[in-house]
Amino acid sequence: MNGRGFRQHLYYAALWLVALFFFAPVAWIVLSSFKTREQILAVPPKLIFVPTLANYTDLLSRQGLLLQVFNSIFLSVVAVCVAVVVSFLAAFCFSRFKPKGTDFLMFLLLSIRMLPGPAVILPVYLMYAGFGWKDNHFWLVMFYAMFSIPFSVWILKGFLDGVSVRFDETGLVNGGSWFHVIFRVVMPQVKPGLIAAFIFNMIFVWNEFLFNFIIGGVSTQNIPYALAVGTYSDGGVNWTFIASMTTIYVIPPILFIYFFQKYLLVGMTFGTVRGEV
Amino acid sequence: MAEINIDGVTKRFGTFTAVQDMDIRFADGEVACLLGPSGCGKTTLMRMIAGLEHPTSGRILFGDRDVTALPTHARNVGMVFQYPVMYPTLSVAENIALPLKQDRSLSAAERDLRVAEMLDVLDMREHGGSFIDELDSGNRQKVAVGRAIARRSDIVLFDEPTTNVEVNAKLQLIRAIKTVIQRTRQTIVYVTHDQTEAMTLADRIALMYGGKIIQYDRPDVLYNQPLTEFGGWFLGNPGMNFVPATVANGQISAPILAEPLPAPANLPSQGAIKIGIRPEWIAMHDTPQPGSVEGTLADQTVGIAGRYLTRVSFGDVDVKVKTDGRPPAPIGGRVHLVPRRGRITLYADGNRLA
Repeated sequence: MNGRGFRQHLYYAALWLVALFFFAPVAWIVLSSFKTREQILAVPPKLIFVPTLANYTDLLSRQGLLLQVFNSIFLSVVAVCVAVVVSFLAAFCFSRFKPKGTDFLMFLLLSIRMLPGPAVILPVYLMYAGFGWKDNHFWLVMFYAMFSIPFSVWILKGFLDGVSVRFDETGLVNGGSWFHVIFRVVMPQVKPGLIAAFIFNMIFVWNEFLFNFIIGGVSTQNIPYALAVGTYSDGGVNWTFIASMTTIYVIPPILFIYFFQKYLLVGMTFGTVRGEV
Repeated sequence: MAEINIDGVTKRFGTFTAVQDMDIRFADGEVACLLGPSGCGKTTLMRMIAGLEHPTSGRILFGDRDVTALPTHARNVGMVFQYPVMYPTLSVAENIALPLKQDRSLSAAERDLRVAEMLDVLDMREHGGSFIDELDSGNRQKVAVGRAIARRSDIVLFDEPTTNVEVNAKLQLIRAIKTVIQRTRQTIVYVTHDQTEAMTLADRIALMYGGKIIQYDRPDVLYNQPLTEFGGWFLGNPGMNFVPATVANGQISAPILAEPLPAPANLPSQGAIKIGIRPEWIAMHDTPQPGSVEGTLADQTVGIAGRYLTRVSFGDVDVKVKTDGRPPAPIGGRVHLVPRRGRITLYADGNRLA
């Protein structure tokens, strides 16, 4: 056994420890969803127990559960699709046609993204209330899309800048329209960027509670809304509900990140890893 | 009909004039090379034909069709760029097929046929399924050539396609381009600063300098009878000799002429001119010959195929001479030169007189 091998093992042990530490709460909540209320609150915590599906059957019998799950999926998928399409075209324009004030507009876009939600919640609420847009799927999608666009434009502009203009020119000269150039020639080359933008925004909308609670309503309630409202609905803290609902809630993001992790890494470099032509 | 007619075209970028009031016709089905040093406006002219730049003034016509205001994709031209542009997400065959998909009149079978045919011509059949990472720059550029040609547009433009290709792949690429253009009846405009390439490929060469076309002629005419000193100097390796000469009483005399030449009628009766003669049109001997002049061998270098490039000095005038074998005298020795009479051309103020 040499020193380097030992160090390597130590290194991995430390990584495992950190990973487990951060994963512990997730594991706790997932395990708890298979326990009874007494088992959840038992001190010391019960590690060996007979799993029960009672929490899930309870959950399924709750009113509005399907609506909440549907809303969560619908709002995030539709809003992010709208955002990615708009952002891609906007980023293409910024990258290729460089309209006057591009740099300033890009700065403005990023600063919108930096703005904390609670800072704008009041004006947004007044606007939505005034126009009668509250509790409406379409307008909530529009809001989420608007909130997702700045960041997506930033990611995608980085990727598009990495695709040489020579591809555009080649496409145009070989008889293609701009439509052809944008969607057949350039878009396939920024697919990692599109996927990265999609995932980042998906996670944002999926986790979004504040705006759903304030400018949404009964018909647009999503899972975070359900968690917040359902936790205290029967007096005390409803631990079995929290555990089972959260477990369902975290499955989609975990699957998503598992399957698309390489694109997330690409996205975090903002497309700065570029191919050359 | 795909004759290209450049009608009084000027292109300025800010204060810089890239192309100046140009008039030229590239005939239907011909291969025209735009040849000239960097910055002479040849790429700008080509980009204007493609529609990637728009002329500041003047018109561009394809046959009778005025295309000056048409966008690029409506012009029906193909183009190969300086950099090998191959779509990285598509295979070689898909790259060639992509522009064909624009043409809705083309059936899928016909499209596949054209792609297969193009891969054959380019000698890339076994690469049809390859992706960009598996190809060298020469083969990538071949893909670009195939993609531009397979559409069978009326006009195909090449913008220095061999510049960014490795030396080894370059010859192969030029051969492929030559094969491809010999098979098509497309009008081809080929930009290059490499005269060998231009000589190999062109039906006619347009020699450009400073945003203007100096001469537009067949390669042999351009080489043998350049209209300007610049043309003589730019073509050939090394370029033409320009030996100072004087005209007096209808006679031309110069250090490399054993006896004065009768001056053609259009020459000024008095004054200084230059004699143009290419290094390979001067014979070198170790003994005096009829019509020879004596000079000192000042320098020699070995060239291709056993040819020597030498410099022979006549006092303050140096003349470049190419010899087939080793020069007959050592450096510093005396040699006797005989210029071929019929090859002599005369210049004044940079332009040819006779």
